[in-house]
Amino acid sequence: MTEHQAAQELLAGLKEAGINLVASLPDINLAELLRALSHDGEFTHVPLCREEEGIGVCAGAYLVGKKCAAVMQNGGFFNSNNAIVSTLLQYQIPLLLLIYYAGDIGDRTFSTSGSMTEPVLSALGIRYYILRQPEQAKEIIKRAQILTEDAKRPVALLLTKEVLGRRPSLGAL
Amino acid sequence: MKRFDCLKALASEVKDALVVTSAGAATLEWNALRPTDGNFRVRTLGLCSSIALGMALGLPHRKVIALDGDGSLLMNLCSLPTIARMRPRNLIHIVFDNQVYEASGCGETATAGDADLVAVAAAAGIKRALWANSVESFAQAVSAALRDDQLTFIGAKVETSRAEVPPYRMDEVENKYRFIRHIETTEGIEILRTGLPASYR
Repeated sequence: MTEHQAAQELLAGLKEAGINLVASLPDINLAELLRALSHDGEFTHVPLCREEEGIGVCAGAYLVGKKCAAVMQNGGFFNSNNAIVSTLLQYQIPLLLLIYYAGDIGDRTFSTSGSMTEPVLSALGIRYYILRQPEQAKEIIKRAQILTEDAKRPVALLLTKEVLGRRPSLGAL
Repeated sequence: MKRFDCLKALASEVKDALVVTSAGAATLEWNALRPTDGNFRVRTLGLCSSIALGMALGLPHRKVIALDGDGSLLMNLCSLPTIARMRPRNLIHIVFDNQVYEASGCGETATAGDADLVAVAAAAGIKRALWANSVESFAQAVSAALRDDQLTFIGAKVETSRAEVPPYRMDEVENKYRFIRHIETTEGIEILRTGLPASYR
């Protein structure tokens, strides 16, 4: 699947999940997805300066009835931790976190960020799923949105290069 | 100028506006003056303006007022260019600048030096950003912002003082539910839905 097709799959998943507001900060691997998002009239797209403010934007929008997703690199997830703890978890606010998994197996950069990502998610009690198959992305996004709404806690989807069409898919790792 | 006097002037103007208050004593003072479920208290220092931005984008026909503090805004200055970029016409961002971290022992913030938050807001791209130097000019600025439907940033230098008001009674989760129910009622929409048991489907 090409990068463009992969972005379309993810976008379709967000739409079918009912997402209508997305806050984001770019990573080169998210560029195609964010381009597609910002050109799609069905979303309010909020480009951020720092990921933590996006947690606030999404929390505020949720409180008035929007369905939100925050798209960022795992470095941005680390940046967002205080807001995730003292706003999302403290108030029991759902949020779909789409986190690019920098430092994944096969990457030559960010291995420290990669090795800390899952332990920090676990420490916060955030359930997460690693997306590797572009064909499954749409369905997993829909299910993750149901889970975050039902649990009233954030749920994270780790976006690998495979699911973003940036590296050939190998199946489950 | 006292924050409480500004809040009194604000309370007589805001009608059904949603009001987001930053962590600190402003929450208690505001809830004593306008006790409704349309108030949301923020617990993450810095996030007040961002949460208000999310509300303003989500309900573009409803006025949203952020009651921020200098310490809070200094922690999340990058919310200003984001707000300027999204330019919600229904958002009024008010900062009570007492130049100290009042809730944290009154150590000085950067605005005790030369930092000028209104200048920062203007430079970030917020077209209408002004200092209110008296309670009267504060009330006028709020009234103009509500009337003109234009994104507005208002700074107010205030004394370090707290009004004698009752304590805040809700925890975060109760505040969330009451706020959401208030939105559902006043907007006529459904936000929270509870799943039915499988046998009902």
